[in-house]
Amino acid sequence: MPTIKIDGRTIEVTKGTTLLEAAQKLGIYIPRYCYHPKLSISGNCRMCLVEIENAPKLATACSTEAAEGMSVFTGTDKVKTARRDMLEFLLINHPLDCPICDQAGECGLQDYYMKYSLQKSRFRQEEKVRRQKRRAVGPHLVLDNERCILCTRCVRFCAEVTKTSELEVMQRSDHSYIDLKEGKALDNNYSLNIADICPVGAFTSRDFRFKQRVWFLKKTSTVCLGCATGCRMTAHHNENTIYRLVPLPNSQTNTWLCDHGRMTYKAVQAGDRLSKGVIKNGLIDLEPALREAATRIDEAKSEAAVLGSPWLSVEDNAALARLAISALKTVNFCFEFSSGQGIKDGILVNEDPAPNTAGAGLLKAAHGGVSLEELSGRIASGRIKVLVTEARAAGLVKTALKTSGCRLIVFAQNRSEIPAGAYATLPYASYFETPGTFINYQGLRRRTNPAVRPADGVKPLWNVVNKLAAYSGTSLGLDSAENALKDIKL
Amino acid sequence: MISVKKVDNKPLNLLERIYLYEIARGLSVTMRHFFKNLFNPAGMPTVQYPEQTIPLAGNARFRTRHRLKIRADGSPKCVACFMCQTACPAYCIKIEAAEYPSNNVEKYPAVFNIDLSRCVMCGMCVEACPEDAIAMDTAEIPGGAAARAELMMTRETLLRNLPGEKPTLGASNRLANEYLGGKE
Repeated sequence: MPTIKIDGRTIEVTKGTTLLEAAQKLGIYIPRYCYHPKLSISGNCRMCLVEIENAPKLATACSTEAAEGMSVFTGTDKVKTARRDMLEFLLINHPLDCPICDQAGECGLQDYYMKYSLQKSRFRQEEKVRRQKRRAVGPHLVLDNERCILCTRCVRFCAEVTKTSELEVMQRSDHSYIDLKEGKALDNNYSLNIADICPVGAFTSRDFRFKQRVWFLKKTSTVCLGCATGCRMTAHHNENTIYRLVPLPNSQTNTWLCDHGRMTYKAVQAGDRLSKGVIKNGLIDLEPALREAATRIDEAKSEAAVLGSPWLSVEDNAALARLAISALKTVNFCFEFSSGQGIKDGILVNEDPAPNTAGAGLLKAAHGGVSLEELSGRIASGRIKVLVTEARAAGLVKTALKTSGCRLIVFAQNRSEIPAGAYATLPYASYFETPGTFINYQGLRRRTNPAVRPADGVKPLWNVVNKLAAYSGTSLGLDSAENALKDIKL
Repeated sequence: MISVKKVDNKPLNLLERIYLYEIARGLSVTMRHFFKNLFNPAGMPTVQYPEQTIPLAGNARFRTRHRLKIRADGSPKCVACFMCQTACPAYCIKIEAAEYPSNNVEKYPAVFNIDLSRCVMCGMCVEACPEDAIAMDTAEIPGGAAARAELMMTRETLLRNLPGEKPTLGASNRLANEYLGGKE
């Protein structure tokens, strides 16, 4: 346990801790480009140079381990000059692309220039080294070699995190540039993380490209509902439109976010988003659609069934349970879903594609109900006349529905979700628009936060369920999501 | 507390109390100007705006109707960097960026609207522009309009060079210069 001094403040750190990490613990920020807490140490950008007492030269804080009695200085004139001069090196061949560069506003070069340099360029613009400008290097990324400072974060990310090694530094010394290895494309499922970790504008996202300047974006932390891993993420949005999703690193689940998860926001503002009800194939206002659905449910009464959904929040599942028990008074309801749990690809993607299998299980524990096999058996045998469920959950009993004459009433967000043969479809607000509780595969409880407002008339699912129950003659009295949770212990 | 100021008005003298004399004196001033202007209209200081305008003094010309400059190939010099929209204190600029498929400049404004009914003519957009693409040197003062829509300047109405102005290359924009140079 070496004890070191940084800028006169003493700290005891575990063996193997680098000076940069030790300084971070003390709240002293040391600038860095190539260092990333989740990647191996490279030590090539030389921005983190610090002065160590009795050492002949400045040392890189990211790669120097703390040793007993070390005295480190991070703010001396020597260090400041070194930082300024390193920035000059990095900026020598950097193009003046800021007006057309998506990184502007969150760019490491811009930030550190303002903080540590502020000197005029001594290099004539015409003498700058030219490299290849933008080109697509994969389905999600654009690479601009001219902006690159060769920190190799991207190379290390592909080698160490995804272990696909698509990228490599080509050539040597000042000829070097980042390129794809021969015959490869940057098409792994984590490629967009490279746009995040790139400290400059070399790698930018094709999806986000030129959509919005980053300083206009507002940030809302929420949860990814792409699978049962339940990664924490931040939705970046402006004027009621979500522009991108970025990971919110945390020790429990994720540092990164997969490309699939990052694209989940698209459905929220897709053109086929439902804001009205659908009866068979015709759009109809929500109220008549609710009335029609309620009539069909009333006809069936105890022969109606409710199937919860692992894609819905605990609150909305609870509302569906209340619908089954209090309004329909049926025994045919199911909140039991099983799916393989666990990380499928060794990084983040879960075997279970639904985000809330564990959360639906809480309803099973509180209210019982039948198993999924039992329910699909009852549907197949024709004992159930009407099934109320969520669109994706309806896919779980697809084969049983096909043969029986069961009427299907589904809740859906997008028109493309509606299963074939659905009788009535009711719209509900997405979890980017309404809060909801989800329980991931580890049993962690996570809440989504609304980033945008739903379209007029689109209400959270518990609210639609409340109305549906009212039309069939029972008041569930749900006036908030928490109200539905009454007998559930989270 | 209400403060009261006592006004010591001079009492009216006899001629003023007669009233007719003062009326005639006032009318004579009006009539003098009327006949002066009638027979010598050139001496009148009034400008019949907007039919008639006078040259703007000094740098006042640089706070007039906006325009977007045009490059030699007819493309806008603007690269949709959003600096003007960010600097605008009246939130009257609306830009939507798009990407050139082949042009190395990469970015251009697909939509560029300036809402003159909101604009305060402060010139911050011109100050902020890193490409020297927006200017307020048309010497036209945006006047009134019969409908709000007429005060919405779009990309089409904004894009113009001044009469006699040579279309510049990309100015400081290296990528634009290279692209335009390659086309010649």
